[in-house]
Amino acid sequence: MNQTAVTWSQPTPSRSAIESLVQEGRVHSRVYTDQAIFDLELERIFHTAWVYIGHDSELPKIGDYQTRQMGRTPVVMVRGKDKQVRVLINRCRHRGATVVETECGNTKLLRCWYHGWVYELDGSLREVPEPGGYGPEFKCEKMGLSQVPRVASHRGFIFASLQPEGESLSEFLGGAAEQFDMLVNASPTGEIFLDAGVNKTEYRGNWKLVGMDGYHPNFVHASVVAGWARNSESGIGAMHREDPFSDAALTLTRDLGHGHAMLDFRAQRLKSYSKHADFLTKVPGGVQYVEDMHKAYGKSQAELLLSLSGDPHLGVFPNLQLIGNQVRIIVPVAPGITQVLMFMVRLGGVNDEINTLRVRQHESFYGPAGSGSPDDAEIFERVQTGMQAEFNPWIEISRGMHREYTDTDGSVVGRITDEVPQRGQMKHWLHLMTQAT
Amino acid sequence: MDRETLLTQWAELREVEIFLYREAELADTHQYQEWFKLFTEDLLYWVPSNSDASEVGKQIALINDNRPELDERLFRLGTKHAHAQSPKSRLSRVVTNILLGEDWLGAVGGTVSSRVLVTEVRKGKTLHLAGRVVHVLARQNGALRMKEKRVYLAANDEVLPNLTFII
Repeated sequence: MNQTAVTWSQPTPSRSAIESLVQEGRVHSRVYTDQAIFDLELERIFHTAWVYIGHDSELPKIGDYQTRQMGRTPVVMVRGKDKQVRVLINRCRHRGATVVETECGNTKLLRCWYHGWVYELDGSLREVPEPGGYGPEFKCEKMGLSQVPRVASHRGFIFASLQPEGESLSEFLGGAAEQFDMLVNASPTGEIFLDAGVNKTEYRGNWKLVGMDGYHPNFVHASVVAGWARNSESGIGAMHREDPFSDAALTLTRDLGHGHAMLDFRAQRLKSYSKHADFLTKVPGGVQYVEDMHKAYGKSQAELLLSLSGDPHLGVFPNLQLIGNQVRIIVPVAPGITQVLMFMVRLGGVNDEINTLRVRQHESFYGPAGSGSPDDAEIFERVQTGMQAEFNPWIEISRGMHREYTDTDGSVVGRITDEVPQRGQMKHWLHLMTQAT
Repeated sequence: MDRETLLTQWAELREVEIFLYREAELADTHQYQEWFKLFTEDLLYWVPSNSDASEVGKQIALINDNRPELDERLFRLGTKHAHAQSPKSRLSRVVTNILLGEDWLGAVGGTVSSRVLVTEVRKGKTLHLAGRVVHVLARQNGALRMKEKRVYLAANDEVLPNLTFII
């Protein structure tokens, strides 16, 4: 299949121009504000690299589909009659209309309602109306919906790449791969389901602003922190007993390579495991949950998993985040417009009350009316507005450079307030943005 | 409905109307604590996400507050550091299509449905949010109070911006 036909030259920033935007400990604000840079990001990152599409549990049955976006490319993830998940480009091979119009659903066939072309769930063209209008050179088998050339999954997380060849998904995920276990294994049966709703949010700022940052919470979320101080046992407050966002805490920032990064709460949360366990035992089904986790994963791993409660706090560059009780997709819309889709994760093998508790924790902080996300979005908008100033255009990301170190697994580690994730992200961004030139 | 019943109900409807208009006024003017006083001790303030048919506690809602949670929300909005409300949204809402439910009993209360159109203006952007509202009202010491306020936004499955004001 001919994925690309023509490329034509257009003025794009040169390699040296792009390189000049990312310097040691600082980044030029055009990385976040410039239309030409944004267009190039779609081409060299979202139309090239592995991009997260969706989770296996979103397509339980044959014919289930979900529409998603890969940069500018509308795609549909669909489970075929052979139970395989494919990622098809949502564009009729005839005159280009989207074939799937609703966001999600179940169907037997994919039908374009412009001129009635009908495709099978695997994308192959089944029939066209009035076939006599085409000569013998027209072959249905060559006119199926375009398949995204590479699709692979890790623990149910489905990724795709529009580039026919390149590094494998496991090479791409690298050190981030094992962190998925911290979420999936929060279920004693190792099953998660993304079927408990999604917050669809939008802010007027660049897509790279929503990253792993452990320096902001006490300021951006000052009103939440003040609320926790009133009642330390409530909701998410219970998860943050000691200030995890102080340099004195056991929390860390970790650059896992490939632009992937995490706020590493493991040691800090594990320290107060007994408090987490006490909290859980007050919830109906909590005692059973703790017991089942110990049976499934053994004492030390169970204690770690329960302490993290399914939150690796991981960012997988460019568009996936595993945060809190949710899976997030970052959708770049324009240099200054970003959508963040927050999919609630339901744990398999636990009492309904455990999931209800998790839903309530999510609702209290996240989403367009939550206590946390809108303040993040507000600050990103302030950043986007401020960055229009180019008198002194540098964004400072040097915090902790003098004290970061490389761990035995090769990841770069800093204190929780350090800008290790930002530097890791920009390093890989620069790599992707300059590799084709 | 015969004319006599209609006239009897008219007085009750008028009382409910005045209650809802007063509630709208307090919400529009960010008088959080005064608005909070309109609720009964046991309360639900619920704004579902994705679908009007979603279930409390099963699927995530935009807002799912009981008394302590709503208290915390209003406390936060009252601090100086709720950035998404700094500056505050300017709000103007229209409450209309008010209907008393089948279960309505003047002395006790019951379900009231209405339609709302909230216009929000903040930082150069105007947002119109329309929706169906279901109040469960209870009469306490002669006065009407909200036991439940459920808001089914027409846009609840759309991409939504900052909704940190009282809906």
